[in-house]
Amino acid sequence: MIAVKDKELKMLDKAASEFAKKQLAPEREENDKFPFGPFFDDVLAKAFELDFFHIILPESLDGMNQGMAALSVILDNLCREDSSLGGIVFTNSAAQQVMLEAGATDLLADIVSAESINDFLIAFPVFNNPAEVPHLAEATPDGNGFTLSGKLEYMVLGGISGHCLVPAKIAGQDGYSYFLVNTKDNNVTVSDPVLSLGLRACPAVDIDFNNSKAALVGNQGEGDTYFTKMADRLHAAAAAMAAGVMKGSFNEAFSYSKERFQGGQAIINWSEMKMMLSNMAIAIENADMILATAVSAVDNQFPGWERSSRAAALQIQASACELTTDGIQALGGVGYMKDFGQEKRFRDAKHIQALLGIAPMKRIKYIEALLK
Amino acid sequence: MIKRSEVKEWMAHEPAFDDIMCSLRSAPRIPRTMISETRKVVAMARKFNNEVVRPYTLELDRTIQQDPEFLPWEFVKQANQRGFYSLVIPKIVGGKGYNFPAMSHFLEEVGTECLAMSNLIGVHYLGATTLLATWNMKLINEIIRQTAEGEKTNDPSLITLAITEPAAGTDVEEVSLLDKANITFNARREQGGYVLNGTKVFISNGHLSKWHVVIGYEDQSRPSETMLVVVVKTGTKGFSFGRKERKMGQKGCPASELIFKECFVPDEHVVFDSRHSAKLKRPPRETGRQIIEYVVSVSRAAVGAWGVGAARGALENAMQFAMETHVDGKLLINHEWVQCRLAEMYKTMALARLAYMENNYANGLDGAFKILQLKPLYYLMKILPASMIDKFITPTLGLPFTTWLFRKLQMDWQKDEQIHRTTGWGSLAKVSGTDAGIRNCQMALEIMGQAGLRHDRRVEKILRDSKLLQIYEGTNQLNRLNIFESFLASHHSRIKVYEHE
Amino acid sequence: MNKISRSEQKQLLNRAPLFDDGFHSLRSAPKLPRTMIKEARKVVAIARKFTETVIRPYALELDRTIQQDPDFLPWEFIKKANEWGFYSMWIPKIFGGKGYSIPTLALFLEETSRECLAMSNLIGVHYLGVGTLFATWNIRLINEILTDVANGEKTGEPVLISLAHTEPGAGTDLEETELMDQGTITCRADRVPGGIKINGTKVFISSGHMSKWHMTTCFEDPERPSSSAVIAAVKTGSEGFSFGRKERKMGQKGCPASELIFKDCFVPDDYVAADFNQLKTLKRDITPSVSQLIDYIVATSRAGVAAWGVGAARGALEDALAFAMETEVGGKLLVNHEWVQIRLAEMHKNVSLARLSYIETNYANGLEGMFKIIQFKPVYYMLKTTPHWAVERFIAPFLSRSLTTRVFRYLQMDRQTDDQIARTTGWASLAKVSGTDAGICNCHLALEIMGQAGLRQDRRTEKILRDAKLLQIYEGTNQLNRLNVFKSLVGRNIPEIKLFAHE
Repeated sequence: MIAVKDKELKMLDKAASEFAKKQLAPEREENDKFPFGPFFDDVLAKAFELDFFHIILPESLDGMNQGMAALSVILDNLCREDSSLGGIVFTNSAAQQVMLEAGATDLLADIVSAESINDFLIAFPVFNNPAEVPHLAEATPDGNGFTLSGKLEYMVLGGISGHCLVPAKIAGQDGYSYFLVNTKDNNVTVSDPVLSLGLRACPAVDIDFNNSKAALVGNQGEGDTYFTKMADRLHAAAAAMAAGVMKGSFNEAFSYSKERFQGGQAIINWSEMKMMLSNMAIAIENADMILATAVSAVDNQFPGWERSSRAAALQIQASACELTTDGIQALGGVGYMKDFGQEKRFRDAKHIQALLGIAPMKRIKYIEALLK
Repeated sequence: MIKRSEVKEWMAHEPAFDDIMCSLRSAPRIPRTMISETRKVVAMARKFNNEVVRPYTLELDRTIQQDPEFLPWEFVKQANQRGFYSLVIPKIVGGKGYNFPAMSHFLEEVGTECLAMSNLIGVHYLGATTLLATWNMKLINEIIRQTAEGEKTNDPSLITLAITEPAAGTDVEEVSLLDKANITFNARREQGGYVLNGTKVFISNGHLSKWHVVIGYEDQSRPSETMLVVVVKTGTKGFSFGRKERKMGQKGCPASELIFKECFVPDEHVVFDSRHSAKLKRPPRETGRQIIEYVVSVSRAAVGAWGVGAARGALENAMQFAMETHVDGKLLINHEWVQCRLAEMYKTMALARLAYMENNYANGLDGAFKILQLKPLYYLMKILPASMIDKFITPTLGLPFTTWLFRKLQMDWQKDEQIHRTTGWGSLAKVSGTDAGIRNCQMALEIMGQAGLRHDRRVEKILRDSKLLQIYEGTNQLNRLNIFESFLASHHSRIKVYEHE
Repeated sequence: MNKISRSEQKQLLNRAPLFDDGFHSLRSAPKLPRTMIKEARKVVAIARKFTETVIRPYALELDRTIQQDPDFLPWEFIKKANEWGFYSMWIPKIFGGKGYSIPTLALFLEETSRECLAMSNLIGVHYLGVGTLFATWNIRLINEILTDVANGEKTGEPVLISLAHTEPGAGTDLEETELMDQGTITCRADRVPGGIKINGTKVFISSGHMSKWHMTTCFEDPERPSSSAVIAAVKTGSEGFSFGRKERKMGQKGCPASELIFKDCFVPDDYVAADFNQLKTLKRDITPSVSQLIDYIVATSRAGVAAWGVGAARGALEDALAFAMETEVGGKLLVNHEWVQIRLAEMHKNVSLARLSYIETNYANGLEGMFKIIQFKPVYYMLKTTPHWAVERFIAPFLSRSLTTRVFRYLQMDRQTDDQIARTTGWASLAKVSGTDAGICNCHLALEIMGQAGLRQDRRTEKILRDAKLLQIYEGTNQLNRLNVFKSLVGRNIPEIKLFAHE
């Protein structure tokens, strides 16, 4: 729906859709085995070629200088087939956005000039609002820069990227600041990928810093400001991921219901099945409308765009959790098995709901923002 | 495989076995005739529904929409004639002595046809239960006996509970909140009694009741420690009725304002105060809490039952509609999606019923009905003719010793975990039942389309009526916090409930 | 004014909703043997001990192992459970078991599944097989196979029983006789001298790879399966019987879902537990008899599935509570935020209600269903007090007589009224839907509270969600079960109502 009018978006839509169907769908089950199967490096590299990771970067950084509409179109399409890649794009975009908000373009320029995808990627704890976590890593001034010590849980892309963007406290200061850490040398210890509910090929690790060199991103103590600004925008993209999962789940259920026979009929002829599929289709149509309004509000900076973006995410993510459970139900026993991807979408939907912090806390913050 | 001592230890682990197995624990202790009694009570309710409630439901609701000041005296008199106001009152205080849990089933049955009329009967027992919760046997006998007398003389003698104040609703239901509450009702100690000043609001059946069990506080700055319970009779000097609320539903049952202006209550009408609590094991604040918990453990089962009644009413009406309406060339009821929804409604209703039954089992094991359901006592009361009871047992009720004994047994001996269990189940039943009511109404209305919107199809009334259930006897939010406190938090000192910065 | 005659009372109570449909606990109270509560305490204590010492330490590892090596089979665990005696714990003493009252099985399953649904299934699914065997009331065969189970515990060689029912083309269709004849059913039984030959494939058979006996449903006439159903006991290793693939499931990974392949698999007459020839001696026609048999099975098995749902719901609640007690958000413990308390309360409510529903189902089964005879007080106490040797000497020899089977079938099948069937199967469906929905609902609530911690396998809750989702599907999808609630409890005895009415 976002890509109805705009030509450029239409092309992106088509490219992402084809990519998802050709590159992601056939190997979905295989790629989901990670960390017990191989990581889908080649798919990632192909996505990199197609500039999926350059959407929100400004032209000065060799980016496409696009907004949430473009990012949402990509994520929506990817997540229909396999949200893991969507998760990688999202995490990386979130990290890029924090650095942009912080005005750390020089640091970012170094990274995005990288040749390989791994050096290009920035790991980021994207399932958390650092302001809500009491124990962050600690940063100490050291010459021109800082050193970082401490443990950080669930650093997404931690095992596969050249840098990570770390929220940390500077001793004696309120709030937190962001630091960029090169993961290659540098006394950084990375755990094995954390076995997780969904988004398996978008791996996260627990990470330990031990006097690791770190560059300050933006100003000291401004971490929460950057995070909030980033989250205001990126929630719209998180909503797009949930919407993509919903569509994938519905498409699968819809086509299955026409092929599976019980009671002597295609199960689509059972009125309860119609009801279920209809609820799913309606939820998707609504999600699309909400999403289109939200991304347009963000990209045009309409008054209250931050609220639109967050409300879209909270609504669509919850709706995706409800829809994907029916998505399995419609396929019965086989829905529960790996074969059709329905069980993966169910897990992914719940996983996506946790993006950018605890969902109910976000609801509480939402009303608190209105109180101010 | 396992040692005796080990069994005990594992049973105490959370969730404690005793918290979760009330029906099975009850089984060997339940008097054998309870089931036949229950059958009889349900049959009475169904008969009453057929003859009185169903034909009058819509009319009563409509009447009060037209004339908000109308009071349903006719109905109260009919219920009185049939003896419903003393149905589960023990024989020793003049009642008919049916087992107390059967009342919940009675209220559910009547509630399926009209929540307002079911309240006109049930709320009386809220007042009676509050009296019972103080275990002041002398006053219990005096006041409740009048109800039984009133049934013989065709002069209904109903009892209310007056607790809610204009600025304190949730606060007065929960002792932890009481001291932060904005209490304006005042009880001043004077020679030979108390002087009451202030207003009570939303008092169900207020205008229709003869006795009002009033909760007051001697010291408004420390209400939790100075709670007192008194009875005030309609007509007492300084007592008057104020306005009658205009409610969305349950219109047939008035919600009254009670106004007290220098209203004197003599000591013989003080049911419970600091002088009583001084003789008990627990400190005054904890005793106050225990009394409130006794009341709500019983009353919330009733509200749960009303929720079930509403849920059933919605289901039965939707079913009726689906049986007589053709959609797409076949009966609506033969569409699978309708069948699935009706099944869901049945499930919701059936589960909620189990919740209030379990609540009653808990009350029988560990709470208000414990003594009455003790098998020897239960059978003794069944067998003894009324004349014998009046002659030999009733006179003892006036003795201070009797009150002392009952308070020892029911208050001092009741353990904190038993309080938690009974009040926890009370809240669980209340939340489950009332949410079931609303949910089923909404589902029924979805199925019925425009028919559901019409007063004469009954369901819109059930929705209006049942919304109140989620609010009174503690909002469902407060009740959820009570579930949390009773079952999940009571073992952990780090958990704090009702704490705001 | 309040006088109600006996007949009037009866008429009022038999009006919908029937009084007897809704009061199993109260109706049971005077009939329940007094020691059942004691037994229940003991069983729950045993379950808790086993859970702490065996299940909890192994739950995450087993799940992880199978993610790595999908073909792994948890023999170690099965042997442990066998050593603890769980495979004969709820088998009546007359068949060599330990004779615990059967409703306590559900309590056991709830307790164990709180830590791991897969392992709880590895024990519970065996009783689905046992239940199927019982539902045929073929006492001779029951005796033979269950004695084998009991001996397996003595020798340390686990003897498990599976139920092989679902087929590739028929899941829901096989749970309802009304759908069977329109279904695509392929597992056939052909009469041959001295027995039958089975051909076809069964899928999603829980514990298949690990079971020694498979209670297999097959059909003499796959065009009219509802009137030609056969239940046969097939032993692993029989000629023509083999295992196929093991499914790759989202959860309950520790419990294999197996494909069973039958190619001209011969089953001698002695191992045919029920078929047309046996069922035609019953009072009901053949199709209603098959339906009754299925209802016997699901009326008990669905209570078990509900208990698993409750276990999952409890696991999620307990994990979320533990997390909330150790995590600070916004400067105070998460557990002291009211919104968290209210959600935890809601989760507790879900657990409690769902539990009541399976307990109520078991009361119904005791009053009017499978446990009726065994909970009949004289029988119950006789079995409790009679020493083992006396059972062996005086009771066991009767079990192989065909008269015994006839008597039991008369008592349990012919004498069971249609109302009683409806009540037991209806409540079982109600419990199944309630329990399993509670499981999923609580997992969602828990994961929302836990944020990123909830996503990690090492925090357990994500595993519970994966495990619990299966519960809404197997033993009849929750949709089918809702239809059964409708058929059995809501729209019973109303001639206008049609089920599965598709034009």
